[in-house]
Amino acid sequence: MVTFTGLDWFWAGAFLLLMVGGAFFFYRLARRSESDFFLAGRGLPWWLPASSVFSTHTATDTPMWVTGVIYAHGLRGLWYTFFTAWTAIASFVSARIFRRSLAYTQAEWQVMRFGGLGAELLRGWMAGWQVFMNMFILGWVGIAMGKVGSLVFGWPVWVGLVIPSAITAIYTLAAGYWGVVMGDFLQGIVAIFAITLVTLVGLSAVGGPAEVSARLVEMGDAWRLDVFAFTGLFTGDFPVAWWLTMLVIAVVGGFGMGTSIDWYVEAQRIQSAKSVRDASYGLWAGGALTLVRNGFWAAVILAFFVLAPNIADVADYELGWFRMGFELLPVGMVGVFMGAILAIHLSTISSHLNLGALYFTRDLYQRYINPKASERTLVWMGRAATFVLLLGSFFYGLMMEEITAWLIFALWLMMAGIWLPNILQVVWWRFNAWGYLASWMANLGVSWLVVWILPAFGVIPPLPDYGQFWLLMALGAAVFIPATLLTRPEKMDHLVHYYVQTRPLGWWGPVQREAERRGLIAPEAKPVQVGGRPLIRRTWTPEEAEGWSREDWIAIVLSPVVYALIIIGVARLLLGQVDGALITLGALVGAFALYWVIDPKLRAVSVEYETKQARYLEELERSVRWDESALDARVEG
Amino acid sequence: MDRGLVTLIGMSIAYVASFAGLAFAYWGWKKHLRPEARKEESR
Repeated sequence: MVTFTGLDWFWAGAFLLLMVGGAFFFYRLARRSESDFFLAGRGLPWWLPASSVFSTHTATDTPMWVTGVIYAHGLRGLWYTFFTAWTAIASFVSARIFRRSLAYTQAEWQVMRFGGLGAELLRGWMAGWQVFMNMFILGWVGIAMGKVGSLVFGWPVWVGLVIPSAITAIYTLAAGYWGVVMGDFLQGIVAIFAITLVTLVGLSAVGGPAEVSARLVEMGDAWRLDVFAFTGLFTGDFPVAWWLTMLVIAVVGGFGMGTSIDWYVEAQRIQSAKSVRDASYGLWAGGALTLVRNGFWAAVILAFFVLAPNIADVADYELGWFRMGFELLPVGMVGVFMGAILAIHLSTISSHLNLGALYFTRDLYQRYINPKASERTLVWMGRAATFVLLLGSFFYGLMMEEITAWLIFALWLMMAGIWLPNILQVVWWRFNAWGYLASWMANLGVSWLVVWILPAFGVIPPLPDYGQFWLLMALGAAVFIPATLLTRPEKMDHLVHYYVQTRPLGWWGPVQREAERRGLIAPEAKPVQVGGRPLIRRTWTPEEAEGWSREDWIAIVLSPVVYALIIIGVARLLLGQVDGALITLGALVGAFALYWVIDPKLRAVSVEYETKQARYLEELERSVRWDESALDARVEG
Repeated sequence: MDRGLVTLIGMSIAYVASFAGLAFAYWGWKKHLRPEARKEESR
């Protein structure tokens, strides 16, 4: 238990009031329309979605999980946290495609990409999946907060689960996504401050950054400072094969939609940005900030390892970051630290409350139950769904704690089986709704076969995680590829409409030619330039910028490299390693080069959309004003 | 509780929720979307 002084209570209370009050302030904006309640009117500058991406990626259980992998693996454990790098390529590929689709949710995108009954079934399937997933995550994160409350104050677990979530629900119900995103911004600042503070205090407790490294060498644990401390090609607990698999899952996954569980949350942030450019930068910067955070955590957790090297129980050493904060910070600052823990908790809870409600309201209620619902009805339905999700999460968190722990593992398997279809649906025109639906169904069966049934009967040996991933992918493909090829392609009219609106990357030749034949898009003209094409083109018209060019491919290659440099550089820099400074400098130069290459093109792509966006918002304002004045007249009458 | 049983229960809940959404979509498609699509086609 931690002793809280009056000053600590003051700071924790002040931060809570600031975060809740700041978010609640946007109540009036949220009630304007469904678009405002769920997407903040699609008008946010890039730094707001960026802070929201960071805050949402930082939940109460995140420091426990990161502490666990760094304590066990040293700096090579950073690669486990590198799954965030799906945003590296996604920022410049799938975010651009998704933002242009104007879909509220990933489920809605399914009926834009696919058509007919198959697409509707997919939308319903995904909406049901996401309503459940968000409730599950709320329960899971709530339980983590319950454990923190138990550690700090000795409260029963249910107190930490119920009270903070209920407080979060107040502003999420009132201010919708406006409250979520503005709260995330404030919570992000508080969280960054606390993470930095605990890192500095933790490193000082050992004697400074260089001392942490020196002590690790003395202890015979120098390998913990090496991010590439492999145990073999296929052997040991950190083989090259596992590292490569994690890189492929994260980085190549950026070409698809839904390859990471986080995609569904960030899709809302992508769509709430005011332009394609803002969506790209919001996602990229949020991902980058998350990696910087991991670097900070890694440094202080190694300091914790130096102070307490012999903790064998995972449940004990996973609380290392919390212990560093509560045990090392001076009186008064403990309250600030508690405020930061509340911040990271509130941001995650609010995001998932609003997102779960969005899937229910937009993809189930509005689409299949009451298609003619007014904006006002939809906002109220969103609030009702938020409330029901909150109650469901309490039930789930309290009643199914043990199941929840294993479900995390089950969900990882699920993602393994549909990883490839999630990419194919974006990049291959011939992939259809039945193939995608078949991949979900097949995954249920094959994951059980690969993980338990076949090993139990001795048909195959128990496989390492990376082996399971590749086998699940291959078995799934053996089902969904024939299912795709044996059923009809989507109707060409539907595909052409989708292609013209989103201009996807990949194998879309037949659809592109049809769109050109119909005169809907101009044939891809090679820009005529005196003296030939420059290596990097920096002047684009909106039409020229629609296609995919060398600049996009440079961004696609450079972006993950910059991400890797960030996570390695920051961690090693904070541990006093000279190469850390050089690597961090390389990351900064790389980030600037990335911006220099891709920004002119993103600006050109966004010009047209910002104009359309302004018209859309103007139209929305008019219709909402009419709606409200009609209601007022009725009330007065 | 046994690891396999617990995972089975957890995954089953997830899939039940998804199937419920799918059934909803089929019902909504029959009730709202298919009649509208037919009306469009007959115009």
